[in-house]
Amino acid sequence: MSLQVSKNGDVVVIEVDGQLIVGNRQELKQRVLDEAEGGARKILIDFARAGYIDSSGLGVLVSLAKRMRELGGDLRLANLNDDLQTLFELTKLDSLFQIADTRERALESF
Amino acid sequence: MSELARVLDAFSEAYGCGAVLWTQAGADAPLEVAATSGGDVTPPARAELGATDGAPEDQVRERATALGRQLVARIPGRTRAWLGVGPVADDDGDAMRWMRVLVPVLAQMLQSQWEARRATDELAERYEEINLLYSISEILGRTVTLEEAARTILMEVAETVGAEYGALLVHDAVSGLLRPVTALRVAGAATAIPIPIDEAVSVTARVFRTRRALLVNAGVLESEYEASFREGAMLSVPIVWTTPDGGIPLGVVSLSGRRGGFGFTAGDEKLVAAVGSQIGTAIQNARLVRASIDQERLASEMRLAHDLQMRLLPSGAAVAPDAMCAARVEAADGVGGDFYNLFRLGGGRTGVLVGDVSSHGYRAALIMALVMSASAIHAQTTADPAETVQALLATLEEELHETEMFLSLCYAVIDRDAGTLRWTNSGHPHAFVIGADGTVTRLEATDPPLGLGPDALHAAARPWKADDLLVIFTDGVSDARDARGKALGEKRVLDVLTARRRELPSRIVDGVFALVEGHMGRNRPHDDQAVVVLRSS
Repeated sequence: MSLQVSKNGDVVVIEVDGQLIVGNRQELKQRVLDEAEGGARKILIDFARAGYIDSSGLGVLVSLAKRMRELGGDLRLANLNDDLQTLFELTKLDSLFQIADTRERALESF
Repeated sequence: MSELARVLDAFSEAYGCGAVLWTQAGADAPLEVAATSGGDVTPPARAELGATDGAPEDQVRERATALGRQLVARIPGRTRAWLGVGPVADDDGDAMRWMRVLVPVLAQMLQSQWEARRATDELAERYEEINLLYSISEILGRTVTLEEAARTILMEVAETVGAEYGALLVHDAVSGLLRPVTALRVAGAATAIPIPIDEAVSVTARVFRTRRALLVNAGVLESEYEASFREGAMLSVPIVWTTPDGGIPLGVVSLSGRRGGFGFTAGDEKLVAAVGSQIGTAIQNARLVRASIDQERLASEMRLAHDLQMRLLPSGAAVAPDAMCAARVEAADGVGGDFYNLFRLGGGRTGVLVGDVSSHGYRAALIMALVMSASAIHAQTTADPAETVQALLATLEEELHETEMFLSLCYAVIDRDAGTLRWTNSGHPHAFVIGADGTVTRLEATDPPLGLGPDALHAAARPWKADDLLVIFTDGVSDARDARGKALGEKRVLDVLTARRRELPSRIVDGVFALVEGHMGRNRPHDDQAVVVLRSS
C-alpha cells in the first residue's frame, strides 16, 4: 500500500493505493494523525485505487473517524469499489461514515 | 661450548689476546657476558661503549682495564652486543684491523641467533593461537547460551595473553549500547555497565565504531565506563561475524591488567584480533541456539493455546435434541479470533452465536475467551438476542477500548415451537437462512461491529420453518485466497451450501471446508475460518 497526500482547499485528500490490511494500517493511521496534528480538520480518504480492506483496516478507519470528530473535524470516504461498498453496507459501517461515489462529490460535501 | 665461544677462542689463538662478547637485553638493562676467550670481562661503562653508527674508527673505544688496554666495539644488528679485545699493547696497530675482521663475523652470528630465536617465539605464539582456536572451537560445539560462550571465551583469551581483567561486550542495536555479557572485574569494582557506542573516551566504544583493534597505554583514554575491568594498559579488539557479504560487528573484547606489569604486545593484539571472528561466530551461534529454543517454546505454547481454545468451543451435541448442529473453526495463527457458541435456552429455543474478533493471534484469542465465558452467562438470562449481546458488550467494552479491537458478532435465537428466528447482527456479513427450496436469505446486520458503533443494539426477526437451515460463516472462508491471490467469494460458498442443504449439518460443513481447501491449494489461510450450520430437529 502507498499513500498519496494532496490538499484541496482546506481538505486533506489521502489516496490509498493497494490493500489496507493489518500489516500497513498503522501507516494510514499515523499519516492521518500527523495531518490532524498539523491542523487539518477535514480529511478525505479516497479508495479509488484500493481493492481490499480487511477487518483491521476497517477498525482503523472507524478509530480515525472518531478521533477526527473528537477534534471537531470530519473524516469522509470516497470511491469505494462495489465489493468495499457492499462490505460497508453488510457490516453497517456505512452508518458510521459519510461515503461519496466520487472525490468531487466528497469534496463538495464538506 | 657455544659457536660464539669457539670463534672467540679461534681469534685468541690466532691473534694472541683475549676477547669478550657482552650482550644487553634492553637499553637500561645491564651488560652480560655472552662468551669469552680471556681478557677483562668487567662490563664497560656507558661512555666506554662504541657508537652504533659513524665512521669505523668512531665505533671503537678503548679503555684501561686491570689487565691492560682493551678495545671495545659495538656489534651492528638487532642484538645489543659489544666486543672487547685485549689486552693489547699501545703500539699494536694490527688490533684495530683484526677487530674489523671479527666484528662482521660476530654480527652475522648474532643475527642468525636472533632469527632462530624469533622463529622459536613465532612457533610458540602460533602454538598458543592454535590452542586458543581449538578451545574456542570446542566452546562452539558445546555451548548453548550466549553468556556461557562469552564467559568461557573471555577466560580463555585472557589466560592466553596473560590479562587479569577484561570484558566481552555485545552490541544491542535497539538501545545503541555495548552491553557487558561477562567481565573479569578488578577486585572491589562495581558491575560492568553498558557503554554507549558513541561514547567519546571509551576505548571499547571507539574500537566498535572503527572496527579496528586498539592498544593503549596506562593513563590513555581512561573512561569511567571501563573502570570496572581496566587497570593500566588496555587491548580492545572488535568482534566480527564474518558473512559472505562482509563482516557484521557484534561487539568488543577488551583486556587489561597484564600479569607481570608488562604492557600488551603487538603479538597479543594480533592473536586476539585473529580470534575476533571466532568469537563472533560463537556469539552468533549462541544467539541462533537461543532463538531456536525460544521459537520452539513459543510454538509449543501456541499448540497448547490452540488446544485450549478449541476446547472452549462446544460440540454440536450441546443443542441436541432441539437442533442438529455442526461447526468447525480453523485458526490462521495457531490461536485465532473466530469462534462460536451454542445454547439450549429451554422451551425448544436454541441460541447460536458466531463472532470474528478483528485480527487474530493471542490478543484476539483472549477477547474470544472472554466472549465465550460471558455469553454463556448472559444467554441464560434472557431469550432476547439484543439484550444478550447488549449485556455482552457491557462486559467487553473496556477490553475492546483498551485493545483498540472490535468484533463482528451474530447471535440468532431460534424458537422452533413458535416458528420464529430473532437475531442481533453486529456487523457480521455472512449469516443466512437457506430454505428447503434453496432460497437464500441474508440475516442483515442490525448494527456496526461491537466496539465501533453506538451502544444501543437492535434485533430483527423472521419466520423459521422446520426444514430451514441456519448458516453463519466468517470472512476467512469467503476471503480464502488461491495461489494468485484471488478470493473464493461468498457466492461459491453459498452455492455449495445450497446444493448440500438437505444433507446432515456435519456433511455440509465438510463440504464448505473441502471447497475452501481446494481453492487455497497449498496457500496458508491468512485469516481464521469458521462455519456453523444448524437445523431444527
